[in-house]
Amino acid sequence: MDSIMLAQQYAGIKRDLDEKGIIFSFSGYLSEGILYSLGEALREKMTLEETDGPTVRRVFAVFVEQMQNIIRYSAEKVTGAREKPVELSAGMVTIGMEGGKVFIVCGNTVYNADVPRLRDRLEYLKGLDKDAIKTYYREQLRETPEEGARGANIGLIEIARRASEPIEYDFLDLDDGKSFFCLKARI
Amino acid sequence: MDIRTTMESLKIPATGRTPEVDFDFAQGVLRLSGESYPDDVATFFGPIFAALRAFLAEAGGHPIRFDMELLYFNSSSAKALMNIFQMLETAAGDGRSISVTWCYEENDESMQELGEDFAEDLEHVAFTLKQIPADGAS
Repeated sequence: MDSIMLAQQYAGIKRDLDEKGIIFSFSGYLSEGILYSLGEALREKMTLEETDGPTVRRVFAVFVEQMQNIIRYSAEKVTGAREKPVELSAGMVTIGMEGGKVFIVCGNTVYNADVPRLRDRLEYLKGLDKDAIKTYYREQLRETPEEGARGANIGLIEIARRASEPIEYDFLDLDDGKSFFCLKARI
Repeated sequence: MDIRTTMESLKIPATGRTPEVDFDFAQGVLRLSGESYPDDVATFFGPIFAALRAFLAEAGGHPIRFDMELLYFNSSSAKALMNIFQMLETAAGDGRSISVTWCYEENDESMQELGEDFAEDLEHVAFTLKQIPADGAS
């Protein structure tokens, strides 16, 4: 009885994912090790399906930047140090097919205080055409990173540059001083 | 990480996420190849910057040939590469002969464009974009 319900329950979840064109989805604590393993699996799967090389490279590039954004900027994380420092950041990453295009969505919580600046950057990027994104990337490549920044501040530009359509994003207020942030790129 | 460094060379074998570094300082031939998306860019590139800085500080010295054969690098690595290019440009401006060859696989328009991005403010470094055959392994 229990096992039937269990299978039914998860078949339902799987059917939902399948209907949305989702190829794989990971939700939980992410680390650089998981980034590496999922990234390899993603590349192998696309290569086996004979996706063309440039598309595989663009999908992989967007995947890496989105995963590293979650790892670095998720407001929900646990840290510890045993032999070497460990950091796990909560979030989700979803890859699927929609209208003949690959899409990648990342989702993670962010502090509400960080939302306006992030929203401004995304809105600015969304309004740029291909050439303007390229120029913006070149400018930012030459800028020294902001104080305390762990990344190069060009990850979002890289995502917009590799995407074939303007990026889409959204924030959902979670009522605890945090918001759920989603970013979708189509390649 | 197995780093072998002597006065004459800096060699770091490739890993799944970091490129092979083969800097033959004695011959003036430096090469970066493979992929670069390390979990910690500063830790990986720190020793490379240090070795390159020391090498470039030598007065006179050989002409330098730098072969960039990266198939993929993430945005944090892009900043590190920019740092390397700026070091090379400064040394070239001081009179050292430096040439860079940026290799990209055929059909890899992104990598070709990135080469153009990096070349944009190189005045003294001789920069060449070079198409190489795709190895089929994406």
